[in-house]
Amino acid sequence: MTAEFLGIEMPVLLEAFIKVNIVVLAMTVVVMALIYLERKIIGRFQMRLGPTRTGPFGLLQSIADALKLVGKEDLRPTGADPWVFELSIYFIFVPVFVGFVVVPFAIGWEIRALELGLLYLLATSSVSGLGFAMAGWASDNRYAMLGGLRAVAQGVAYEIPLVVTLLAVAMLSGSLNLREIMLDQGTVPNIVWQPLGFIMFYIAMLAELNRAPFDIAVGESETAGGPHIEFSGIRWSMFQLAEYAHLWIMSIVGSAIFLGGSAWPLGEDLGTPFQLLLMGIKSSALIFLAMWTRASLPRLRIDQLMGFAWKVLMPLAFIQVLVNGFVIVYDLPLLLLTVQGLIGIVVLNWAIQRAVARPAGRPGIAAWAASEATS
Amino acid sequence: MKGLIRSFLTTGSTFLRKPVTREYPETHRELPERDRAFPLLLWDQDVHEPFCTGCHACERACPVECMTVMMKDNPAHTSQGGTSSRRKIIDKFWIDYGRCMRCNICVEVCNFDAIGMNNTWSGHESSTADRLDLVMDLQQLLSQSRAGAVKPWIAP
Repeated sequence: MTAEFLGIEMPVLLEAFIKVNIVVLAMTVVVMALIYLERKIIGRFQMRLGPTRTGPFGLLQSIADALKLVGKEDLRPTGADPWVFELSIYFIFVPVFVGFVVVPFAIGWEIRALELGLLYLLATSSVSGLGFAMAGWASDNRYAMLGGLRAVAQGVAYEIPLVVTLLAVAMLSGSLNLREIMLDQGTVPNIVWQPLGFIMFYIAMLAELNRAPFDIAVGESETAGGPHIEFSGIRWSMFQLAEYAHLWIMSIVGSAIFLGGSAWPLGEDLGTPFQLLLMGIKSSALIFLAMWTRASLPRLRIDQLMGFAWKVLMPLAFIQVLVNGFVIVYDLPLLLLTVQGLIGIVVLNWAIQRAVARPAGRPGIAAWAASEATS
Repeated sequence: MKGLIRSFLTTGSTFLRKPVTREYPETHRELPERDRAFPLLLWDQDVHEPFCTGCHACERACPVECMTVMMKDNPAHTSQGGTSSRRKIIDKFWIDYGRCMRCNICVEVCNFDAIGMNNTWSGHESSTADRLDLVMDLQQLLSQSRAGAVKPWIAP
């Protein structure tokens, strides 16, 4: 079997090998750029400048950090379970890395456009929860343990709304192939038909990535870094790499599924550089939104977090699937989906409002508070 | 949701504002005239000699004993054919900046307003590789006031 890459005929395996290498190299560069940009952007959100000392505008900050991390001693606590401890980072890093196989950077610019690409991506990326559990368990540290357990609980809880919302979108496209979902959107991106789906995807994505405001698993002030706590040097940098690579993957997949990827709005016949540029703009917008969220919202409490996933996001996601099914089966106008999505957003808003309301508005807690006061 | 949107707008507006950071080694904030760095001797620009008469008041008052003062007869006094009204004048003066705790007592006890606190950035950026470089002699103590670098300072 042969395949064509950059106009050269070559064996399929060689072609895949070259593409994987390109993606790995691009990933390390992008991750470094993301770390730098995150520090700069969060700095600007706090009216600071961010890194400025290393190179022009602090551009070499990530390189300096990487060199420092490589140079640091690789410590392992004496009480740690050696095998689980050492393997745990691979269980976090490899699933993320494997997910790159189906990421559609541009039309024809994925390593493989698998027919079950979306399923593959979700299946692989959910394995990293195991890595967090292993890291937390093996560190022989209470905070790491707590953080690992929280990461797993949160990962499992938010996996379901994430999968179900993406499933709802896949129903509209009639395919799990990311390239086909991207191209099927035509002139109107999925966000118009699935506004609620996009918001739920975005929330679940932040939770999956353990990013603020869902970062209780790795929050410094609560679990002192969570599962990362005992890792140092190169191992810790692999955590960081996996985290930002995952953010990158999710932003690209999100923009492919909801924002029309590299095809919308300029059509699929556009040159590859322009497609990559378009995809870059869209995924950067999503990443910027994630950073903006991090700068804006305080961390959720664990019970709020779990309650939000199970009681609010899950039912809404299943309702979305149901409504999509009705619309597809009975050939109803797609505009109905938009209306339903907007109603769903109102419901989501109401649920959030209710959750943040004062205890007086919630009889259970008010009763508890009263009993506390009398006892 | 209202709260969410408001928080996003707040952070958005801070994002668009100019950062308040001053990039310190390149840009210096202007110091207030009563800024208190290390003590300096002041220079009498009218008769071109230090105000200091070497009276030892500051040396005696200094709680950390960082000063050493030596006095001599003023060769420029009117009785010697000069123009100065100071009979005695400072001969040698050392202040160990490594010891000084910037308490301002020397400035307060001085009868001649001859010593003042350095209110320029040079008083704050005085790190050296050798501790002995922090012991300032008379020339070093006078040079800034002589060059007019110290801002006029009103005693409280």
